[in-house]
Amino acid sequence: MKTPKLAYVVEDDPITSSITKLILRKSLACEKVQTYANGQRAFDHLSAALHNGTDLPDLIVLDLNMPLMDGWEFLDAFSCLHLPTSVCVFILTSSIHPDDIMKAAHYKEVHGYFSKPLDDHNVERMQRLFQTCGE
Amino acid sequence: MNQGSAEAELYQHLMTNTVIFDFLQTQVLDGLWYQDVQAPTHEHDWVSPTFWRTLGYEPDQVPAGPTPWRATMHPADLALAQLHLEACLQDPQHVYDHLLRCTHRDGSVVWLRGQGLLLHNEQGTPTRLLVALRNITKEKHAEAYAEEIANHYGLILSNQSVYIVKTDTRGDYTYANDIFYERFGYGQDIIGTSSLLSIIEEDRQKCLAMVMRCFEEPEVGHQVILRKLSSDNTVKSNHWELKGTLNEQGQVEEILCVGYDVTLLVENLQKSQHLLDVTSQQNIRLQNFAYIISHNIRSHSANLTSLVQLLTEAEDEEQHAMFLQMLQTSTQKLAETIVNLSDIVAVNSNVNKPKERRFLKAEIDRTLEALSVLIHQHKITMDVQVPADLAITVVPAYLDSILLNLISNAVKYRAPQRPAVIRLRTYQEPSFTVLEVQDNGLGIDMVKNRAKLFGMYKTFHDNEDARGVGLFITKNQIEAMQGSITVESEVGVGSTFKVYFNENA
Repeated sequence: MKTPKLAYVVEDDPITSSITKLILRKSLACEKVQTYANGQRAFDHLSAALHNGTDLPDLIVLDLNMPLMDGWEFLDAFSCLHLPTSVCVFILTSSIHPDDIMKAAHYKEVHGYFSKPLDDHNVERMQRLFQTCGE
Repeated sequence: MNQGSAEAELYQHLMTNTVIFDFLQTQVLDGLWYQDVQAPTHEHDWVSPTFWRTLGYEPDQVPAGPTPWRATMHPADLALAQLHLEACLQDPQHVYDHLLRCTHRDGSVVWLRGQGLLLHNEQGTPTRLLVALRNITKEKHAEAYAEEIANHYGLILSNQSVYIVKTDTRGDYTYANDIFYERFGYGQDIIGTSSLLSIIEEDRQKCLAMVMRCFEEPEVGHQVILRKLSSDNTVKSNHWELKGTLNEQGQVEEILCVGYDVTLLVENLQKSQHLLDVTSQQNIRLQNFAYIISHNIRSHSANLTSLVQLLTEAEDEEQHAMFLQMLQTSTQKLAETIVNLSDIVAVNSNVNKPKERRFLKAEIDRTLEALSVLIHQHKITMDVQVPADLAITVVPAYLDSILLNLISNAVKYRAPQRPAVIRLRTYQEPSFTVLEVQDNGLGIDMVKNRAKLFGMYKTFHDNEDARGVGLFITKNQIEAMQGSITVESEVGVGSTFKVYFNENA
């Protein structure tokens, strides 16, 4: 089974961020997890990694409502980067607004929409979707 | 035979033969009443069989009694007949002619017209009265019916305030009814003037279009609502039906316009439309609000669920303690969120909080007083150009909160590299007093953030103590007072917030 090597958790709430990091490592057997408090920070690191040729993430777990650069803006910027390897992007949000779910479906970069909490059921679905990602 | 001899011959016949008299009294008249004017008992009076037939009695069915005909006659009319007789006795010139109501055998009223001739004996003393009776019941009924119809339509026309107007083909008045003159304060001098110009300007095109259709399709009603200034200087909406009337050559000769006042109807329609708009807006707000609540509560409850799970699976004491600490923080945050939400619910559910007149300048001064330490500490220049006597109608607590929020935001997001200036000024717009709060601070990227500026939990600067509820609450409070808020901002230049206080609501 394929497991993530490097995951980005983009989330402004520190507690949610810590929890997500823990669960990714424990349940998804993620090797390394880096957390970022908003889209801007995650994007800055991602472009720097691309530029410097350091490790690129194969999984990004993205919140939607964040200051400075929110999830949507991150996705817009991300899609312009043209990464050499495939990255599996999951939205993990507490929003159940139908507009958000609809909007997410329009981004080809988004491989799954998850409503918090990240429970066993969601972890299982993440695992399954991650297997088919990049094929 | 010439005319004179014919007349003589007829009179000769009449003298010698009763055929003619019989024909007249049985076929032409509906009864004869022959009275002895000297016998007050009337026992010697006589009525003809035709009279009885008129009342539905065959000769062998005539009621018994000394004077049975009198029983069929209306007492008041009998008295009237007596008066006419006496008048004739007094004055030979008096015309004996009156109405006599009789009761038909079936109980209905038969109206007879009696015309009398007083007969004298050889001494010239009046002795007999011959009354010729004609049944005019049908005419009476027709007359009553016509009167009823006239009353009916008269009532309708006078009570319904229907305008009836005619114009020539150029649209100049040729006729108007009284109600039209009265309601719009016109005199006869409007005849010959343009009906189009009496309509308010915005509706003239609509009116013209309808008149054109009268030419295309005359004799069919074309309906339109037009507004017009009434004599009390209010604008009235009138519903009109326009029809072209044709002359003998089949060309439109006149436009007939029948109209009535629908001002109340139109006003109510506009009111309900407004209400519908307000309700739809409120509905959208409430729905968004429901999503916001669900989002905010959910984000914390999700953390709690996960933490409890992690706590049960904790591998050592250290992890256990860490999760417990996180659990504590999460419950605290949930409690804070609930407090924030209840603030917002309070604003949203108390749309009808009582408003009071407040002097804006005095309220601003109080807010600056409360922020004086911060203002002094950051060396901020305050430039307040608000007239001291300017009063606005507000929910006082909301005004406090709005001023505190906008001014403290301007302080919080000042640009560190230049001396901060916050400028407050007011001006009037139709129905609104506008307060402008302008700063030269960091500014907000409006291209990116316009849509979310007033959203909940949106923060735009990397500021640790930004809660992301301030502008959301401010907007809700302003909207609860039927006002609005707008913003112009540029990164590195500053922001200008404009608060529109509704002075009509």
